[in-house]
Amino acid sequence: MLSFILRRVLQSVLVLLVTGLVAFAMFRYVGDPVDTMLGQERTVADIERLRENLGLNDPFFVQYWDFLGRAVQGDFGISYRQGRPVGEIIAERLPATLELAAVSGVFALGFGIVLGIFTAIRRRGTAANVIMTLSLIGVSLPTFLIGILLIYVFSVELGWLPSYGRGEVTWVSGWPTGFLTSSGLSALILPAITLGLYQMTLIMRLVRSEMLEVLRTDYIRFARARGLRDRTVHFRHALKNTLVPVITVTGLQLGSIIAFAIITETVFQWPGVGLLFINAIQFVDIPVMAAYLMLISVMFVGINLVVDLLYVAIDPRLRAEGKAA
Amino acid sequence: MRLTLCAAAALLALPASAEEFRWASTTDPQTMDPHAVSSTPVLGFLNNVYEGLVRRGKDMSIEPALATAWEPIDDGAGWRFTLREDVTFHDGADFTAEDVVFSYERASSEQSDVSSWFAPVSEVVAVDDYTVDIMTTSPQPLFPDSIANWMMMDSGWAAENGAERPARDEENAATLQANGTAAFRLEERQPGLSTVLVPFEGWWGEPEHNVTRAEFTPIQNSATAVAALLSGEVDMINPVPVQDAARLDEADGVEVIRGIEARVIMLGFAHDHDTLTGGADQGADNPFSDPLVRRAVAHAVNVPAILQTIMRGSAEPASQLVGHGMSGYSEANSERPEYDPERARELLAEAGYPDGFGFGFSCTNDRYLNDESVCQAVVSMLAQVGLEAQLNAMPVQNYWPELRAGNFDMYLLGWSPGTFDAEHPLRFLVHTAGERLGTWNFGGYSNDRIDELLPQIQSELDPEARQAMLDETARIIQEDAVYVPLYIQPLLWGVQENVSLTQRPDDFFILRWVTVE
Repeated sequence: MLSFILRRVLQSVLVLLVTGLVAFAMFRYVGDPVDTMLGQERTVADIERLRENLGLNDPFFVQYWDFLGRAVQGDFGISYRQGRPVGEIIAERLPATLELAAVSGVFALGFGIVLGIFTAIRRRGTAANVIMTLSLIGVSLPTFLIGILLIYVFSVELGWLPSYGRGEVTWVSGWPTGFLTSSGLSALILPAITLGLYQMTLIMRLVRSEMLEVLRTDYIRFARARGLRDRTVHFRHALKNTLVPVITVTGLQLGSIIAFAIITETVFQWPGVGLLFINAIQFVDIPVMAAYLMLISVMFVGINLVVDLLYVAIDPRLRAEGKAA
Repeated sequence: MRLTLCAAAALLALPASAEEFRWASTTDPQTMDPHAVSSTPVLGFLNNVYEGLVRRGKDMSIEPALATAWEPIDDGAGWRFTLREDVTFHDGADFTAEDVVFSYERASSEQSDVSSWFAPVSEVVAVDDYTVDIMTTSPQPLFPDSIANWMMMDSGWAAENGAERPARDEENAATLQANGTAAFRLEERQPGLSTVLVPFEGWWGEPEHNVTRAEFTPIQNSATAVAALLSGEVDMINPVPVQDAARLDEADGVEVIRGIEARVIMLGFAHDHDTLTGGADQGADNPFSDPLVRRAVAHAVNVPAILQTIMRGSAEPASQLVGHGMSGYSEANSERPEYDPERARELLAEAGYPDGFGFGFSCTNDRYLNDESVCQAVVSMLAQVGLEAQLNAMPVQNYWPELRAGNFDMYLLGWSPGTFDAEHPLRFLVHTAGERLGTWNFGGYSNDRIDELLPQIQSELDPEARQAMLDETARIIQEDAVYVPLYIQPLLWGVQENVSLTQRPDDFFILRWVTVE
């Protein structure tokens, strides 16, 4: 078991290092930060001096090595755009993204499971068919469009919900939260739906097909033969057995909710790390881009590691294989 | 019931008193330091918090601010500024000559992004507490005009907070805090989120505004910004996307304020290249070194059509490198070359290209309003006279390095004269490229007469003689078709109907001219 964990951790570190290397090799194609950092009255000498100061004349692997050297000491450099420490900026922005991801995750999971069960049980009903058709639209419309549509309906036409921002935040032990004010809560609704819609339809379709599968098995048939009530059969016996794959998928999707919040955050001007990243790309703010990409890859690698370890804990066969190797 | 709901919704949307003003723009001012970054979002925003010795009025003219009067010393050895006496900074400290000297040292230091404003300055001397002499190496008739954005910082405050130098390579107190003298003080600053200004009680001037609190939020996505304006969550947005302006005109409760910016959009050429770098005839001799070919381009582009379709009638055609209304604009050269494809073909034939040629055309796709669409239109217009342009559109971060590396035959450029004077583009775009002059002359144009006239224009004290020289340069540029000016970029702001404000061509939003009814 220990050797398995060690091996996994080592692999994860390797993945991280490679991600960073690829990221740094790509930065030169994003553009040159120097022009946006200097005003129009800059001289050629100013450009050269700044390039030298920032280390932009070094090959990318040297830049990467410098970044790693400082990053292991917890120093992610100074943002080119804001002139402030990157670690501080990301720490300011992360709570907004995490809260949005948590709410849209709960939304996706809750509605996904309920609608999945419903469409499986009432397979031939009109309502179920309507939901299935609508879910196709949900999957195929781009996030950007869904966000703008929701804004026009609920903010401009109806005036019920705010169109941008995070509302009023309160500080709870160093964490700015939008959960405690009414403006903060109402600001969460539209972005959370926009971000969670795709995941919701995914979970719904997964629950539905799993449920249909389970409903055909012998033990369900016997349960019915025993004269158990429908509700007991569906929720006590069938649902439990559909949830195992759902939990796995949800775990993996959590990472993508955080990583793909970029578009939702841009549409709703949600002050999270995704919006920060978009700004960083436009400005070629290399320290911020590097730190964000590393953060996201640490998160993905971490989630995968936990999922792998959970499998081992659940499935003894994997442990045996680990020994054999 | 329904009425109550509506009223409740209205209350929710407008929680505070009517004088609370909220505005949004695409870019957050990246720092609160007035000397660290020379860009419109930063300087425009900080003009509400900091002040200079002089400032620009509603019509862009120079008027007294922290200085009440100024006069040249000894035939152009420098300028003497008399300072206003009853001025205090937001923290209560007095504004004196010492702060001017300190602000000069800070703004002209190596970390400063505005040091070029002080290139002709040799020394700044505090004569007494309220008199400052700014000595220059040569006569500088327009020096007061060039320092309207040079903002004054308190030397004591900077020393106490460790902000003696501009915060460019590292953070210091001036990055997030501000201590100016202007009509508004910075109450709260959350970068990228919101910035709150409140009126400064101790301001020396007479407030025209009735704003009690102003909150700025960056909204990057223009569709979201338009929605926020329509739903009443913000009182003003800048800019309104060109394609949304007509729709906002028709919407209830909001209006679009139109103006023209100082920025002229033009085509530039590779003058000094030997061969073409792109397109079908890559490697062939460079035709753009011939003025006939460049003039053919000028006649082939149908600017009125571009303005009508792509800019939806919001922009104005340009005849020279600055727009009318800028000082030094040449009335004598205000005719731009007519759209005349026949003439263009004749010129090409005369230059030895009766069948045209293929070349590379570089263009931005995220820098100027609808830049890529404009370039596509130019490509199809040039095709009608036999010029096959291969469009190479890219984000602005990749664009400048490409231009510096000379990877273009023709390119799109927008230029906003920082001094609002016709001398500015001459200095950066037309003078022979060098260390300090001609730094944006990517095409390598060189004309001895212009190089000879520029220093004379810079130091000429007589306005008429100066204008005569500017007229001559404008004529040379037009005849030589050094650049082909296309149009002046429009300014489109969206505001609630109960707000009145003033739009200035430099795209600065001045809060002290806002009234909310």
